[in-house]
Amino acid sequence: MRRRPGIGGLQTHAAARDQFRLLGENVAKIRTDLMKEQLATFRSQLEDFARKHKNDIRKNPAFRSQFHEMCAKVGVDPLASNKGFWAELLGIGDFYYELGVQIVDICLATRAHNGGLINLQELCHLLRQRRKNDRGVVSEDDCLRAISKLKVLGSGFEVISVGKRKLVRSVPTELNKDHNEILELAQAQGFVTVVEVERRLSWSSGRAIDALDTLLDEGLAMIDDGHRDGRRRYWFPCVSPISSSIAVDS
Amino acid sequence: MQKLGEFKLPHFFNYPPYFTLQPVRDTREKQIQLWKELILDYCKTQKTFVIALEEEFPLFTNHVIERSLTHEAREAFLSALVSEGRAEWMDKGHRKCLILWHRIQDWADILIQFAKDNGLEDGVVTIEEIRSGTESQGTDLHGIDRTILNRALKLLEQKGKLVVFKGTSTDDEGVKFSV
Repeated sequence: MRRRPGIGGLQTHAAARDQFRLLGENVAKIRTDLMKEQLATFRSQLEDFARKHKNDIRKNPAFRSQFHEMCAKVGVDPLASNKGFWAELLGIGDFYYELGVQIVDICLATRAHNGGLINLQELCHLLRQRRKNDRGVVSEDDCLRAISKLKVLGSGFEVISVGKRKLVRSVPTELNKDHNEILELAQAQGFVTVVEVERRLSWSSGRAIDALDTLLDEGLAMIDDGHRDGRRRYWFPCVSPISSSIAVDS
Repeated sequence: MQKLGEFKLPHFFNYPPYFTLQPVRDTREKQIQLWKELILDYCKTQKTFVIALEEEFPLFTNHVIERSLTHEAREAFLSALVSEGRAEWMDKGHRKCLILWHRIQDWADILIQFAKDNGLEDGVVTIEEIRSGTESQGTDLHGIDRTILNRALKLLEQKGKLVVFKGTSTDDEGVKFSV
């Protein structure tokens, strides 16, 4: 459009600009409406789906985990609030709160034994023992979900990865890289010796002893001087298989 | 689970570090607690009254994991029981320990119950009858350690619930209840 001089020209220009704006707004509105409609459809289908497969979601941990994934993709968090449609429909909120309380309980009960660091597998095992009478199975994924909800409490519940295993930490102990490496090493036999740490990690003996002493002080390790070879062993209840059978009430 | 005869051993019994006295206080306290419970439990079910530190005692060695409690650890666990009134050293050198899986007061109550159950409220019974007679069969009194029995009797005597009298020889003592 060629710009023409004069008031008339300016007015025409302004009018044309208004027209364009209106048109643009219309197009945008139609698009958002469409999107909203699609999302609403998706949501209602998700709800239908949830309603239909309510029992599967409750009972089957694998199904539950996939359902969670799907919800996350559309921005629905069934655990976000205990009120509202999702909680009412599925009772999922209660389920995870209950798990959370039981997890805290187990962590506290075993803390004296393991120093507040527990193998995720062991935690699940104890959780299942405790929930024996409940229907439905609890998976490690459920445990992780419940623990992630506990973070809100600011109580320092955290999942850390050591080697291939996941450990759940219920004390505010900060583990540094050295400690992690020792824990990883200990996973093989449940214990390490100073010599072994020096050799396998190529550390100076001072570094090894220092890290082991810290772990000892934190209650994460126990010493064992009873072996025939006379070498002190440092056992880690949080990674050793024997502790997996220690009952909560022992 | 590992067993000693009919006795079920706790899981910690198979975890080697529990056989070494732990240097860190919190860990050691937990360790001592577990051992205290185990010792009392075992002595109660086995009716063991005396533990000699330098002799073989089934709980002090675990052959499966090849661990044995050091003398220091044995003394620490028993001392913890002593400080709670659940055990007493029998000598100054702490070589022998009397285990009170019932406290003396509880033994005294058991004696009173024994008298009532057998209609001895005003009756007479010999000490040997209490320890090995048919009346005490099946009760905790059967086979009770002589020292513990004497202590419980003395406690009741002080309260005027009974009188101990001597017979013709020393191993012929009798008790007259007056409950």
